[in-house]
Amino acid sequence: MTTFYLNVIHRPEMVPEYLQKDAEEGKAEDVTRSDVIRESLDIFRTQQRVAHDNDIRTTIQMTYASLFNEEAVAIAKADHEKYGDEIGSTFLGLQCAQFREKFASKELAIWLFSMEDKRRIVDEVFGKFAEVFGFLPTSTGSYYMDAELVNYIKDRYPHVKAAVATCWEEGPKAYHNANNSWYTLLDGGPWNPWIPSRRNIHCPASDADDDIGIVAIPHLSRDLMAVFDGPGSYYGTHPQNILRGMVYEGREIPYFMNIVDQYRAMAKYNRGYAYNMMFVGPGWMSKSGRWEADYDFLLKSYEDGMAYYGQLKKEGKAVDLTMSEFADAYRQDRAYSQPEVTLWKDILYGSKRQQFWFADPSMRFCLDMNLGGAMIDLRPYAAKLIRPCGVGTKHIQDASYPFLVQSLFRAGYFTHYAGEGAVKSCKFGHAGEEVDLCACRTQASFSEDGDTRVVTLDPVEIEFETFTIGVQSIFRLSEGTGEIEITRKIVSSTDPSAEVSIDEYITACYGTTEYPEDLTGVKLKLKGKSGKESIDYEYRCRGAAIDGIESAEAIVPQVDTRLSMRPDAGDVTGYFREGMAFSPMYTLGIKKTVQGTGELRTWLRVEKAS
Amino acid sequence: MAQGRKGKLNYRCPRCLMREIDMDMLFDAEKGEYYCLRCSFFGPEAEVLRVNAEFRDKYLDRATRITDF
Repeated sequence: MTTFYLNVIHRPEMVPEYLQKDAEEGKAEDVTRSDVIRESLDIFRTQQRVAHDNDIRTTIQMTYASLFNEEAVAIAKADHEKYGDEIGSTFLGLQCAQFREKFASKELAIWLFSMEDKRRIVDEVFGKFAEVFGFLPTSTGSYYMDAELVNYIKDRYPHVKAAVATCWEEGPKAYHNANNSWYTLLDGGPWNPWIPSRRNIHCPASDADDDIGIVAIPHLSRDLMAVFDGPGSYYGTHPQNILRGMVYEGREIPYFMNIVDQYRAMAKYNRGYAYNMMFVGPGWMSKSGRWEADYDFLLKSYEDGMAYYGQLKKEGKAVDLTMSEFADAYRQDRAYSQPEVTLWKDILYGSKRQQFWFADPSMRFCLDMNLGGAMIDLRPYAAKLIRPCGVGTKHIQDASYPFLVQSLFRAGYFTHYAGEGAVKSCKFGHAGEEVDLCACRTQASFSEDGDTRVVTLDPVEIEFETFTIGVQSIFRLSEGTGEIEITRKIVSSTDPSAEVSIDEYITACYGTTEYPEDLTGVKLKLKGKSGKESIDYEYRCRGAAIDGIESAEAIVPQVDTRLSMRPDAGDVTGYFREGMAFSPMYTLGIKKTVQGTGELRTWLRVEKAS
Repeated sequence: MAQGRKGKLNYRCPRCLMREIDMDMLFDAEKGEYYCLRCSFFGPEAEVLRVNAEFRDKYLDRATRITDF
């Protein structure tokens, strides 16, 4: 049984970002400009009509400003009555004359206020909502909802069950894309709905005690490959985002349907469950046009997208729920330990590239088949870092969940001139020659073995000067263990007498941006049958190795994480390598030598260090 | 020379777009050209459209309906 859930969300924004910016050209700021409010309401009304024409129910997230607008309130009430749309609340669209008067601030992002202000704003927004509608909302959201904010909401308004909580991979890339003026630094969360930890919104909860009490929904369903390496606002189920990215020919946008269908296909990897969401603010459908597209094209793109959702519903291939209904459905049979996984394929650039994404309460990671299955992203969710954001906190705008590996921010396999980048891979060596699997493009397939998800890569060939070997990689992910089992198997050799070394390694660091962080204080440790080794990181290029390794680990106190590797058994060597200031990385590895064919099996684990 | 103003459809700078920076341009009505405030791009609408088309070239599947997943 496959179910593809769909959430369509609209918000009557009185002062939408882009629309207001355009209207203001050559004029002083005025958040009460009536032509902007009128146009925005028209667009909201149009969006609602387009959804209903396609028999799609929506969640209307009332902005604070819209609660003072009788017409917006009337539309919401009427559509709730007639179509069963849910009336929820959003912390987007706070700015209006009333907000300025009460809070004396031009801040627009709820997560960036001080905690004290967040509490006051929540009470004001929910209080006004109750005054207008006579009930409290059960769904809410913003571009980002930090755990501290959601914990407060749950404490005061326990009936809230769903929230738009992050924008997937909006971080430094989104910031750069917006000429360094868009402060959604929110990398590191899951790409599909999850039950967040009460300690950090990005992390899926481990159990009922850790459950924050809502189902979190990412803002938009995004292209997992294109957005990992490009602007979030170009590639997702937001038709005008796609126009912004110029992914069209003439006025046709098959890419939108391709994204939707790839999300539908996620049912194959997630026991029949799949999800999609669309959430377009009125500012994106400005009547004066936007992103080199006139209003007719903006409207057409929205109509086409909604028509596809409508068609899927009509064919029985999609279930349109409101946010709160979805939260109930999601919780019905979702074990905390169940991972969200997908084998994403390129639908944009015409390559055959695949990436495998995994998220569970222990970690999020990505394997890139273009790099022989190398791990190019690793987030230690097990650490459940308490990392408040907003004014008065240490990080203020940086709400991303830290990585240990992010190959695009920290070089990965290819570096210029010297040093190493962050990546997890495997090297094969013979008589002074060495080949990294990162240089071996391949494809992968997915299967399940009970509660173990298995990613099996097609064998690749590694050519040494005098002989060739065939190598296959298999990743096994046993639910709830917090470990990745990795097997590197030499399946063939043209010289069965030749010895080959297999060197499984991870080169890592930590951070949330492209820029290096101080690794002082990181501990590198080896433990094995022949003894122990340990150093404190000092950028001195030191290394150590011991035979009969039992575990190689890095303790990274800055992100409260223990990263470790262990082998299955046998006579294998473990090592660590300290980096230098020009290459601020640490490496853990396990290696062995085989003759002819053979394999190395290791496990990678992330845990909370403290 | 009068100030530059927003041009038609908020054209972004096509050169900045190539490096994935969205930068609205201003329009110089006197010269009939767009210009960027960040890089040194300038040109008439036809040049903007030409470089925009180049930007889209990287999307080999932009016109392809893909259904096999």
